[in-house]
Amino acid sequence: MKAIELSGIAFGYDERLLFEGFNLDIDAGEFLGVIGPNGAGKSTLLRLVAGLLRPSRGSIRIGERDLGVLNRREVARAVGVVLQENPFAFDYTVSDVVMMGRNPYLGRFQSPGKQDRGAVNSSLEFVDALFLRDKRINAISAGERQRVVLARALAQEPGILMLDEATSHLDIAHQQLIARILVQLNRRGKTVVFLSHDLNLAALYCSRILLLDRGKAIACDVPERVITAELIRSVYGVEPIVTRHPESGRPQVMLPVAAAGRE
Amino acid sequence: MQRRLLPGWVGLILLLVSAAALSVAVGPGGFTNFRAVMDLRLLRLALGIIAGGVLAVVGASLQGLLQNPLADPFTMGVASGAALGASLTLVLGRTAGAFAPVGGFAGALVTMLVVYALARVRGRVTVTGLVLAGVIMSFLFSSLVILVMILGRRTLGEAVYMMMGHLGAIFTGTTVWLFGGVAVLAVVGCAWLFSMSRSLDIMSSGEEAAETLGVDTQRVTKTVFVISSVLVGVVVSFTGAISFVGLVVPHLVRMLFGPEHRRVLPGSFVAGAGILLLSDVLARNIVPGGLPLSIVTALVGVPFFIYLLRSRL
Repeated sequence: MKAIELSGIAFGYDERLLFEGFNLDIDAGEFLGVIGPNGAGKSTLLRLVAGLLRPSRGSIRIGERDLGVLNRREVARAVGVVLQENPFAFDYTVSDVVMMGRNPYLGRFQSPGKQDRGAVNSSLEFVDALFLRDKRINAISAGERQRVVLARALAQEPGILMLDEATSHLDIAHQQLIARILVQLNRRGKTVVFLSHDLNLAALYCSRILLLDRGKAIACDVPERVITAELIRSVYGVEPIVTRHPESGRPQVMLPVAAAGRE
Repeated sequence: MQRRLLPGWVGLILLLVSAAALSVAVGPGGFTNFRAVMDLRLLRLALGIIAGGVLAVVGASLQGLLQNPLADPFTMGVASGAALGASLTLVLGRTAGAFAPVGGFAGALVTMLVVYALARVRGRVTVTGLVLAGVIMSFLFSSLVILVMILGRRTLGEAVYMMMGHLGAIFTGTTVWLFGGVAVLAVVGCAWLFSMSRSLDIMSSGEEAAETLGVDTQRVTKTVFVISSVLVGVVVSFTGAISFVGLVVPHLVRMLFGPEHRRVLPGSFVAGAGILLLSDVLARNIVPGGLPLSIVTALVGVPFFIYLLRSRL
């Protein structure tokens, strides 16, 4: 079964189109990494699938249903999103923040019930952040906050989880923690779409990688066929050294000594 | 946080009750004609409660909606826009019927839309952009209020009260009924904003994030803008533009109850009403003949706001 199907997508922020005739199928239960240089269209792709942007042409299907006919609440029950920036203008408690993930299930005048509180607690527990429950969101560390925002997405109980640079501000311990959580979620059947600048992290954990460049899918395959010296060179314009991870054999990318340039 | 809820509510209600008692008991004129004085003061009390409550609830809603701790009907220029609308109906001689409140509403809504459009750069409303646009429009409308009043052969005193607020509206037989209608409208509008509490909570983590959580942010924005414009417009047509109540009261209530709108909005209504009544008691008793309300609200509000700026924003 397909979790996400994009066909014939056209989209641009101004008269110049970023995506044109763009197609992508993501299978249910896949762990897809999306990589590419700045401006490649990774975040735009995420926003199109999350319904934050509307394509000017083409169709997007989520779990076999057309995105155009779904309302916001229906989309929120199907797709959980972790955005790159998560500012909070006011200082809510962590459990209040995660409870926001229950919004698509609650009527306007309905207060959260036992089931909602259960979902909040189990989501926090899953990301190892239950102990933060009563803390204020602006008083915890960046790594903790990222887990809390992830827990909020989990409280939506979506089949699909999309993350935009979820690990980029984090130290390696927190990167590993988030990656492990995503792998566990994927094993439990969630479709994970992981946008990242971290080629090594993507190569290590994703089952398939989409390499984007200026709105074009350059490659979309298992990490071994995408993280190659040739493709990285042609897209990023650097001379990479590609090695194998000693444990998993997955490709890993290093920069050469003369990383600053080849003048 | 839970344990501070009850004392917080007790405090706010005590504030309102004592402010109301002072408002009725203290004032120039003594009690020689008890009936007439009480009629005036009770109407003034009702106007103060509605105006203070509405301004604070609208301020709290706009702050949540725009993720902007500086948003309020006054800083956004909406109150001045409403004052201009009301002034226009006044000098055009349309004092009868519902013309002034409708003029106030029209002025408020136009200002809200203009300020929002000016502040929205590349699809994002920035905190500074909104306040800058609001301050500029506020200057413009204040000048226009004076211009309109002079052209309409009104006194500068009237213009000052329109720009700086007062609770001394003169009620005639028909305007009392009109005010009754405004009071009902105010309660309905505040209840409507209250019903959007959860959406407002979610929007304080950003528009895009709110959409991924199932909030129709465009609909919420439009609804809050229209309700706020109606509420501020009709209130300002009776009181003129009053500063700082909508800005400061929600922050005060958040310090008591935390940021959740289902507590902040009702708390702001009660606290706003109480603080406006106290300000009015001061405004009409410290100087013979009385002062415009914004003088008192600014003298009280600015120090508190500076404290907020230094410690919390």
